[in-house]
Amino acid sequence: MYRYDAIDKELVADRAAEFREQVNRRLAGEITEDQFKPIRLMNGLYLQLHAYMLRIAIPYGTLNSAKLRKLAHVARTYDKGYGHFTTRTNLQLHWIKLKDAPEILDHLAEVGMHAMQTSGNCIRNITADPYAGATADELDDPRVWSEAIRQWSTLHPEFSFLPRKFKIAVTAAAKDRTATKIYDIGLHLRRGRGGELGFEVLVGGGLGRTPHLGSTIREFLPTRHLLSYLEAIIRVYNRHGRRDNIFKARIKILVSSLGAEEFARQVEEEWAKTDHARVDLPDTELARIRGGFAAAFEALPGRSEAFEAAKADAAFARFARRNVHPHKHAGYALVDVSLKVPGQTPGDMTAEQMELVAGLAERYSQDEVRVTYQQNLLLPHVKLDDAPEVWRALDAAGLATPNIDLITDIIACPGLDYCALANARAIPIAQHIAERFAEPERAEQVGELNIKISGCINACGHHHVGHIGILGVDKKGEEFYQVTLGGSPEDDAALGQMLGPALPAAKVAEAVEQMVEVYLKERKEGERFLDTFRRTGVAPFKEAVYADAH
Amino acid sequence: MRALTASRLADGEAVFWKNGRWAERFAEAQLFEGDDEAEAAEAAAKSEQTVVVDPYLIDVISVGETWAPLSYRERIRCLGPTNHPQHGKQADGGADIEALVHAEGASRSTGRVNLIKRK
Repeated sequence: MYRYDAIDKELVADRAAEFREQVNRRLAGEITEDQFKPIRLMNGLYLQLHAYMLRIAIPYGTLNSAKLRKLAHVARTYDKGYGHFTTRTNLQLHWIKLKDAPEILDHLAEVGMHAMQTSGNCIRNITADPYAGATADELDDPRVWSEAIRQWSTLHPEFSFLPRKFKIAVTAAAKDRTATKIYDIGLHLRRGRGGELGFEVLVGGGLGRTPHLGSTIREFLPTRHLLSYLEAIIRVYNRHGRRDNIFKARIKILVSSLGAEEFARQVEEEWAKTDHARVDLPDTELARIRGGFAAAFEALPGRSEAFEAAKADAAFARFARRNVHPHKHAGYALVDVSLKVPGQTPGDMTAEQMELVAGLAERYSQDEVRVTYQQNLLLPHVKLDDAPEVWRALDAAGLATPNIDLITDIIACPGLDYCALANARAIPIAQHIAERFAEPERAEQVGELNIKISGCINACGHHHVGHIGILGVDKKGEEFYQVTLGGSPEDDAALGQMLGPALPAAKVAEAVEQMVEVYLKERKEGERFLDTFRRTGVAPFKEAVYADAH
Repeated sequence: MRALTASRLADGEAVFWKNGRWAERFAEAQLFEGDDEAEAAEAAAKSEQTVVVDPYLIDVISVGETWAPLSYRERIRCLGPTNHPQHGKQADGGADIEALVHAEGASRSTGRVNLIKRK
């Protein structure tokens, strides 16, 4: 795993010290809330319904045991003993006191962590494929490029006050596991005709009030020019983005109004004027970063007798089917740690669970843990021989629910239970749905079905791209939920279509059950819920849910 | 009827105006019948910049023999998150908490006066 160098460590420590001074000045009344708010936001500190919320950056969703243990320590000491993993692979702590925030940042700095650029109109934490360095279908390790972008974008003076926030995702695999099409910039590594590597560059994706899927503005950008090209894109956005209207300030609106072709032309024009050598990383620096991600694997047989024998236990066999995935090295596997126990809060993890996973990572996964945008964790390098032992430990801690990508693997934002922006609750809706499908056999029978729930139009729960998307709205003063169907954030990306009029909270779980029944009745061999919906259209689902209304 | 609420600067706790002081429980909140009195309290609260953040008035309704914020959002602030009943003010229990738990009313938009949403 990449380790911060002396410059990074100094920068993080300096920033923590600076924030301590700023908090002291605020508490003493030397600066007003209007002056302080942008400062605290730039350090990931929001004021929510019950307390301050600290959003801690997890660069490209990668943790090691020391970092996870530190997060556990902070959650236990300064919060209520748990944290919430988000759809942008960060960790949020919902019960933070302002007076404790500087001390927390000092703790995080000890392990090279921080909360910089997890809020504000800047380039946010980079998202990368959680399978990075472990999957056979990748052309290169996307963390190398993500780390290069992190270094370039951290406290970048030109891009610290953009028209709006700016999010970048990187994938290098054939299968898109990062939802690149819903990012301001999505980078998808491809191989060129001559065998060289380059990025397909997508721009203008985003959800929120006006959802857009990203448009490709360059089919193939040689990797060595990544940073200069990003600079050109963000310069064009910085110059023309709508600072006058917060609802039109994201790059997706600019790309949409100019058209992708014209936006691409302006980027190319800007890029042509750029001194590439000034911005692009020299090969030596790239090699240094790459070295930070080197990992050693043993030569193992592809088949593990211990793994196969453990499948005699039906519970382990189910876990192996849903939560264990092929690794690029024989004898190894990726193991999903599910944070989706039916009836509990999606994405929440206790300090004790963090410590347990830290220990497992240290012992069984080359000291690596990944965070997925589906609000789960992943142990990327587990030997098949060790998988039964890892499963037993996870199971004992409530972390082995065999439901990855199933109907109970629900994404939900914190919603009105915590968030000052929300219109409605998201967590209880997720809990009610998951409880109806808690029986693992039933969830497995339904198969792949991604439900995504947001408590407001800002769409932190990615509802627009859920196979079933659920959006909380305030309808005449009550919590109601709009349902969309057919969305996807991956290779077959699509925005969901509206099912019909919004449903009251008490009807949502029942409606999901009714739609699942339609799917089970209509599906053809091998079809997922999404495939059946795309074939049948919305009509049979609508009929089932609104039958009572006729 | 209205009450005046804010977030406490030091820890973000939801607090309620009570005759020039701030109380943690909604049951202690001072209730204002007239606009003049409510707005005077709001103006006074806004000058307490080292004590609270973002004071604002909320609508309050009669619930049985007591009062509750009209909006669901404000009741969650008075109680704590519904997914963790052991967290927040609701953890302390009491008749006033029970009354709020069982109160019915509206969601956020009608509860907070002069609300402007910004992310």
